[in-house]
Amino acid sequence: MSVVTAVHALVDAGVDFAIIGGWAAIMHGAESATNNLDVCYSRHPENLKRLAGALAPFHPRLRDLSGNLPFVWDAATLRNGTNFKLWTDLGGIDLLAEVSGLGGFEEVKASSILVHVFDRDVWTLDLPSLIKAKRAAGREKDLRALPELEGLLEARESE
Amino acid sequence: MEGMRELRPLTAAQLARAEERLRNPRAGSRIEAAQRFGVDLTLLMEQLRLSPDERARGMYETAQAAEQARGAARSKRA
Repeated sequence: MSVVTAVHALVDAGVDFAIIGGWAAIMHGAESATNNLDVCYSRHPENLKRLAGALAPFHPRLRDLSGNLPFVWDAATLRNGTNFKLWTDLGGIDLLAEVSGLGGFEEVKASSILVHVFDRDVWTLDLPSLIKAKRAAGREKDLRALPELEGLLEARESE
Repeated sequence: MEGMRELRPLTAAQLARAEERLRNPRAGSRIEAAQRFGVDLTLLMEQLRLSPDERARGMYETAQAAEQARGAARSKRA
């Protein structure tokens, strides 16, 4: 997963997005590895165009679509769906319009914090909201991450 | 960017407090629960000493090295 190139492409294209999931956990201090970059994105029509353009050079295709079926990557495709599990030349990128327990992009951005990472400033879900989202998602892999994140939160709390 | 919340490296005082909590988890605390779950608290201490950028770059480099090792293993099998 070339997360550096992916972050540069999204930020440099002016895409309105926030990092959620495993890479957000890593930035908060978690030790768990992740294979995908998970982002929540704005559904504003201009943003869909920017998002489509930013990832186009990396040949996105749906991970759960058979290789024989046609897939067109553009703003119209983004408009017609909400969540996309993509495989790209950079690795797996999951695009989510909504995050469990939090809501759509506006709610996610309001629960995010600016992080300077890979030479860019990137919105990233804050630690309490990441915990809330993982608890709400309720998948085994999300629940397994909770003790570490809860421990980190307690270690960092002011008093 | 003025007035926006930013994730910054911990200050010396914040780090000292976090390390103390991770070294000596209170009974019934979430840190103790994490330790019982199998989380290595010493690794969390190491991560908290770094900036968010250093944490991400460290994980990125680890992932790259793992991918290279997988690639080498695949080549050897072929």
